[in-house]
Amino acid sequence: MAPKYQENDAYILGVTLHEAMPRVADKRLEEMVYDTAKEALDAVGISRRALDHVTIAACDELDGRSISSMLLAAPAGAYLKDEIKATDSGLTGLCLEATRIRSGRFHLGLLVSWNKSSIAPFEDVMRMRCEPFYTRPIGLNMSISDGLFAAAMQGVDEADASKVAASYRQAAAKNPRGVAAVPVAADAIAASPYVSTPLREGHRPPVTDGAVAMVVVSGAWLNDHPDARPLARLSGIGWSLESYQLGGDRLASMLGLKTAFGDAMKDAGLGNADELDVIEIEAQTAFHDIATRQALALPADQTVSPSGGPFAQNPYFCTGLVSAAEAVLQVAGKAGPVQAGRVKTAAAIGFHGFAHQGNVTAIFEEIPA
Amino acid sequence: MATEKTQASDVISGEWNVRYNYSVGKVAGTFFDALKERKILATKSSKSGISYLPPRAYCERSFEPCDEWVEAGHEGVIEAATIVSAAFEHLPPPPYAIAYVRLDGIDTAMINFVRNLDMSDVGAAMEKLKPGTRVRVEFIDDPKGEVTDFHYVL
Amino acid sequence: MSPQQVAVIGTGQTVFKKHHDDKTYVELVQDATLAALADAKMTPDEIDAVVFSMAPTEFAGIHDIEKWSVDSIFGAGKPLMRVHTGGATGGSALHAGYTHVASGLFRNVLVVGADRVAETPDAQHILNLIWDRFYEFDFALNTVTMTALSTQRQMARYGTTEEQFARVVVRARANALKNPYAHLKGKITVEDVMNSPAVAWPYKLFDCCPRSSGGAAMVLTTLDGAREKCASPAFINGVGATTSTVFQGDKTGPKADVEYADLAELEIAGKEAYAQAGITDPKKQIQVAELYDPFSSMQFPQLESLGFCERGEAPALSDAGAFDLGSDLTVSPSGGSLCTNPIGVTGLVRAIEAANQVMQRAGDMQVSGVRNAVATAIGGSAQFYTASVFGADHL
Repeated sequence: MAPKYQENDAYILGVTLHEAMPRVADKRLEEMVYDTAKEALDAVGISRRALDHVTIAACDELDGRSISSMLLAAPAGAYLKDEIKATDSGLTGLCLEATRIRSGRFHLGLLVSWNKSSIAPFEDVMRMRCEPFYTRPIGLNMSISDGLFAAAMQGVDEADASKVAASYRQAAAKNPRGVAAVPVAADAIAASPYVSTPLREGHRPPVTDGAVAMVVVSGAWLNDHPDARPLARLSGIGWSLESYQLGGDRLASMLGLKTAFGDAMKDAGLGNADELDVIEIEAQTAFHDIATRQALALPADQTVSPSGGPFAQNPYFCTGLVSAAEAVLQVAGKAGPVQAGRVKTAAAIGFHGFAHQGNVTAIFEEIPA
Repeated sequence: MATEKTQASDVISGEWNVRYNYSVGKVAGTFFDALKERKILATKSSKSGISYLPPRAYCERSFEPCDEWVEAGHEGVIEAATIVSAAFEHLPPPPYAIAYVRLDGIDTAMINFVRNLDMSDVGAAMEKLKPGTRVRVEFIDDPKGEVTDFHYVL
Repeated sequence: MSPQQVAVIGTGQTVFKKHHDDKTYVELVQDATLAALADAKMTPDEIDAVVFSMAPTEFAGIHDIEKWSVDSIFGAGKPLMRVHTGGATGGSALHAGYTHVASGLFRNVLVVGADRVAETPDAQHILNLIWDRFYEFDFALNTVTMTALSTQRQMARYGTTEEQFARVVVRARANALKNPYAHLKGKITVEDVMNSPAVAWPYKLFDCCPRSSGGAAMVLTTLDGAREKCASPAFINGVGATTSTVFQGDKTGPKADVEYADLAELEIAGKEAYAQAGITDPKKQIQVAELYDPFSSMQFPQLESLGFCERGEAPALSDAGAFDLGSDLTVSPSGGSLCTNPIGVTGLVRAIEAANQVMQRAGDMQVSGVRNAVATAIGGSAQFYTASVFGADHL
């Protein structure tokens, strides 16, 4: 019988999300990571010993550990394994993992990312992203750079953003994997305080504590393990880092998003966005959601972030990988109450850096029966 | 390049000081509480049979939870030691001795200071700290539930 | 399918020194990029993706420093990621660059970074913040003390002396005389090392690396790309890595998997890299080892872990000149990390020096007849290890 799977393709065998909470009070970060990694392996019957590599994605400064993988690699399953950490975002970890599996050098890996947002002063850490000469004295952070971006967007008013935020809060309330989000009406969001005009408090999802683990395998491994049933194929991946300078063009063009998305679609052999059944967007503001739809010319009836997106849970650094997990669950038909019917292809779009400087798109395909 | 200096200094000074609140988690609280009673508790995984100091909630090797508490002996053996002679920012004034000591009944070694050691001759003092040397645990008078509640002495 | 061939076709470094007050960080990383592109005979437009080598970012004092650097290295609009395995970051960046090309996702990949370790007045303070806050941080652990501890154990096990470590320093500083980029270099004696100020027993000041600033870059490409651009590329034939526990005390006692004194994890990474590269007898097949050795005691256990001799044999072989320039195995002809340690790119510099030797582009440092060279990187609590084998012939 001919092999069923392309040898060097990457497949998601299992996905585990740590319980989403505003603050995980009863575990230290190492324990959150261990619990998530352990559950991911146990759920698919893989022993840690069998892994041939581990990829992690984490941020030292948010973790409050100057080389955080020193403490966290072992609870992520990496003891005496080939392990590399990506620092940009959880979803960037998936990019690194894709290069590892697709190289043909690795076949059975664990990808783990986390953020215990509650331990660190988020914006104080972000402020240290400023170079010390021109921006740090002014004091840029995520809120302010996102406010600049929202102000630079043409043709989007605050009321639109308030409506979008309200709709995601509603969707998030149905997601059993999210924090118990309480729906808030658009007019209440529109009346919430400004953070950085025109960005209001209610336009942003609050940060939460969380962790994600994915068991990722090669097609060659699946051909050798015919009983294994992957959840999805990682059919396309693309990433792009834009300019650091926050000029008007850089803020409003969404060029990095278009590049990353275009590369991922090409990698997946897809053409138009309407070939995607679901798109999960890690929109850190409602303005980002609107800007993404506009930049990618998504049709009005496109299913976007049925999970509620970051309004369901937002462990900031790894939120993009949470979006990827939700996309995987959609193509596997396992998204539960937020399942969007039969989903053959789903994308996850993530951002990192000031005003979406970093952009990642991952595309997942269902496994034919 | 022969440019003239137009500024008073060639550096800009800055500080990076971020506050964190670390969650204590599942096992550290028990360990710190026991210190107040002058007990050193290790965790153990029944799966791998390995007992760990410092304690942790899981066995890194078997990847199973640590499901037992084991009390460590108050004596043990030096596995590695050094005497620090140089001064570092935010560290104790030198000289001081530190050692990894494997306490009786426990499979891994835990670092702490070695106190009451004459370090006027560092070479001679190091002779007394060779791997294999037995040392004992000494608690401070009023343990507070911190890892510095105890140290090692010859 | 086996991985696609990956070749090094260009490398670049800046001079390394304590401070580069005449340049900002992004200018340093640009200098390294331009040097590597020129060496590879490439324009910035030909680069398809970038892997950034820099960690921890606290030394330079700017979080996510690659995001500030992207414009200066012509990376805006391209796929760029930063990787981080502490001191092994440069080795991991090489490995990530390798999979970028080997996967077929990208043709030409730039691996680049820079560090400014002396930008903070006491790097060992940051290297104290890396430890477990609850259990280990309070006991003055940093990279000096952690390796001093394992060295004391090494000396007790194998009878290695301080003078034998001092000879490693003498050799490294002398080798570095021929390295235009090295930070510390010169003719010194064993007595000079022995008489330098005590730091943490058995280390004296000269047993320890300097805090260096500077940049490094490498251009990787496919077999076809190499054939177009480079007459003598260095093929990345083996990439092994392993991560260990942070808790060094776990590496002692009867139940330890790996021995604290031996840097034994490197044996795992080395075996994997050798197996991929078809190295069955490293003593015969490998002519140069560029070792990550920021402290004088870190060469011997690495040479033993990499199979160049049995456990405990390296010190006597070193005394006899077995690792000198032009011997069967030349160890760190560049002077190694003992002379130059820009932490975020040190592992990359080791890879560059090893690749240069294979490419016959090592200038005054060139060892004759190099067919294979191995480079290592080590990070964390002697916890993250990479071993990379470069060959003049592809697999």
